[in-house]
Amino acid sequence: MSAEPARACVPWAAADMLGKLTWNAIPFDQPIPLAAGSLVFLVLIAVIAWVIIRGHLPYLWHEWITSVDHKRIGVMYTILGLVMLLRGFVDAIMMRSQQAFAFHAGGYLPPEHYDQVFSAHGTIMIFFAAMPLMIGLMNFAVPLQLGVRDVAFPTFNSTSFWLTATGALLVNLSLVVGEFSRAMWLPYPPLSELRYSPGVGVDYYLWALQISGVGTLLTGINFVTTILKIRAPGMSYLRMPIFCWTALATNLLIIAAFPVLTATLGMLLLDRYVGFHFFTNSAGGNMMMFVNLIWAWGHPEVYILVLPAFGIFSEVISTFSGKPLFGYRSMVAATMFICLVSFLVWLHHFFTMGAGGNVNAVFGIATAIIAVGTGVKIYNWMFTMYGGRIRFTTPMLWALAFVLTFTLGGMTGVLLSVPPADFQLHNSMFLVAHFHNVIIAGVLFGAFAGITYWFPKAFGFRLHEGWGKAAVVLTVAGFYTTFVPLYALGLLGMTRRLQSYDVAAWRPWVIAAGAGIIVFCGALACQVMQLVASIRQRESLRDLTGDPWNGRSLEWSTASPPPAFNYAVLPNVEGEEPYWQIKRRAIETQQLAAEPDYKPIEMPRNSPTGFITAFFCTVTGFALIWHIWWMVGLGLLGAYVVFVWFAWRDRDEEVIPAEEVARVDRARRRVRAQWLAHNAREEWLAVHGQRETA
Amino acid sequence: MTDEQHVDDEGNLGDVAPGFMDAADHSIREGIQGYLMGFVLAALLTVASFLMLHTNLIWSPGIAVALVVLAIAQIGVHLVFFLHLTTAPDNTNNVLALAFGILIVVLIIGGSIWIMNHLDERMMPMDQMTQTDR
Repeated sequence: MSAEPARACVPWAAADMLGKLTWNAIPFDQPIPLAAGSLVFLVLIAVIAWVIIRGHLPYLWHEWITSVDHKRIGVMYTILGLVMLLRGFVDAIMMRSQQAFAFHAGGYLPPEHYDQVFSAHGTIMIFFAAMPLMIGLMNFAVPLQLGVRDVAFPTFNSTSFWLTATGALLVNLSLVVGEFSRAMWLPYPPLSELRYSPGVGVDYYLWALQISGVGTLLTGINFVTTILKIRAPGMSYLRMPIFCWTALATNLLIIAAFPVLTATLGMLLLDRYVGFHFFTNSAGGNMMMFVNLIWAWGHPEVYILVLPAFGIFSEVISTFSGKPLFGYRSMVAATMFICLVSFLVWLHHFFTMGAGGNVNAVFGIATAIIAVGTGVKIYNWMFTMYGGRIRFTTPMLWALAFVLTFTLGGMTGVLLSVPPADFQLHNSMFLVAHFHNVIIAGVLFGAFAGITYWFPKAFGFRLHEGWGKAAVVLTVAGFYTTFVPLYALGLLGMTRRLQSYDVAAWRPWVIAAGAGIIVFCGALACQVMQLVASIRQRESLRDLTGDPWNGRSLEWSTASPPPAFNYAVLPNVEGEEPYWQIKRRAIETQQLAAEPDYKPIEMPRNSPTGFITAFFCTVTGFALIWHIWWMVGLGLLGAYVVFVWFAWRDRDEEVIPAEEVARVDRARRRVRAQWLAHNAREEWLAVHGQRETA
Repeated sequence: MTDEQHVDDEGNLGDVAPGFMDAADHSIREGIQGYLMGFVLAALLTVASFLMLHTNLIWSPGIAVALVVLAIAQIGVHLVFFLHLTTAPDNTNNVLALAFGILIVVLIIGGSIWIMNHLDERMMPMDQMTQTDR
């Protein structure tokens, strides 16, 4: 610990009790973070006060915070992802505007603040926006699509969510208490070592990621178990919807890759806290090992994010083309191919680190080959649309925007996979444009498509189409205005992470990119308006039947929103598109299947375990960051006591009586029967008439 | 749904791991026997690896290889006797998970060793570097 720098001396005696934490940690001299932090804090207080005054606290506690229902947890994950997306977007606005002003000038963000902004932007967008959005949608849709009542370990699931929320909280806390990392979104040593980053910023980053990483790993275990072990009767592997397949691949990748991240960051923590030398410049350390290991996690992570999005697009494109997915089996094969090969390409993130030609060639070729798997998928989506009756709804527009834009990003990726080209483009704005091209077009468009697609299932009413379409158009326009200039800037030689610059040729492109962010702001406004308009017009947007899109997989066979137990009777799966078959049989026989024999259903009981564990983990994380050792002990003890208390509980299930199940399901059947009487005949004729003339 | 079906229609015990407690017609006594056998084997393998270092039973340059062999045997004993890994149909997922895990470990460790050893490929030999730099 000798490398620790002398901190400002504190006049009061309690200072030792609080480790490194002093009043100096609050950035009174920096108006921007202080104002932003105070505003967020006030909004938070206001929301909590409103909840308590209006008496919503018991409802929130019983129905959401302690809920182990996969649908509720999925919704909470998605909300967390959207809020963090907003936070990361604010960082993006700051970076683009800073660069727009910083020609031959300092701009308005001093370098040490600018460095925090881009580090926070990357960290938040990947770990606390993209990951929660994808995990949230998997949480919501996978058990429904598999035709089961919940995931394998429901309380685990709740714990995963609250641990992720802990990480997000710690990252945002760094805005007002202390500082955030200045060492980029992947904290490369030696910059992230104690000697060059003596502050608490890197510690905030590391502990936030370690804690939320445990949550993500639990999610991975939970979902692999669910998909392999708990499926509706008759749902063989090759009858699972493609979203379940991509979820399986993603969670296998989480299980295989996240321990690598935890171990790598753990070694950096040992370096920083107890004077180890894994990645230091001296005493036998090797900082290049960090780069190697972090990308052994980092590349699978790319596919952890994008594979669920591929699944969402498959569902959306198939549903709105009115056709089964083209080449289902090739889609499964391509997904599993990507799952495996994603572990064979990590060196392409550091071609320039100094490995010889043989190594670079092998990894470059592997990188070009992995694009084949994605290429197969692109063709499958196009052939699914070919000859279909396409309905251009908002989710479908997101999917179309994705196919066009993502293909562009994929092509620049193949370009970067050629080592000699990469030597020119490495660390340039071209690279920045490339990965935003694939992540925004892939993951973000996928999340928006998934949210608009499953929103009626989750809340019982559709999202407003007009505002949704406006959001798609503005997002796509904003994307191209922002990132095409960045491609050009990369080719002009601009490197990433510049706080100021003085090359006149870059100026127009930087300003164009800045204008793009304004278009993005318009898209954001449309998204907010979409939500507001949808809630105000929810009666006219109501989804009565539970099948608003004429869907094909099982989640559309239950009510919207689904009852806590999802299905009154577990569906019997007889083919690849079980609900489509049930629906067709009902239309052809003009009646619903016979009423089943309702039985009582056992459901897992709600539990505050996840929330309380995460509370103690937040305490532990905060204490570790500020070296408040007694509080570390307290937090760990608290978390352990919660675990023991949970293990000793004697009632872990609740029984929903058969009458209740019957009442809920009969209401659903009544609406279905009405729908069948009114619409089914015409729809049947429309579909079949069309087919015969085509 | 259940994957715990070890008994076929005639009541014959399927292919179950030694010490598998949940299997039908499997007394606690047999279960304990299985665990004891696993414990003895694991202990023997541990003792063997320590013995090797301190005696001349093995040609000294071969000790490293022998340790690797014993370590892999130890992993095998743990998998079979304590984690109940078998080749039975109900265990396909576990075997596949193990295979996937081994594959990833081999890829990451092998790849890392290859990459890290390759990093001096483009470096000038040390003696020449000191001549040109100074």
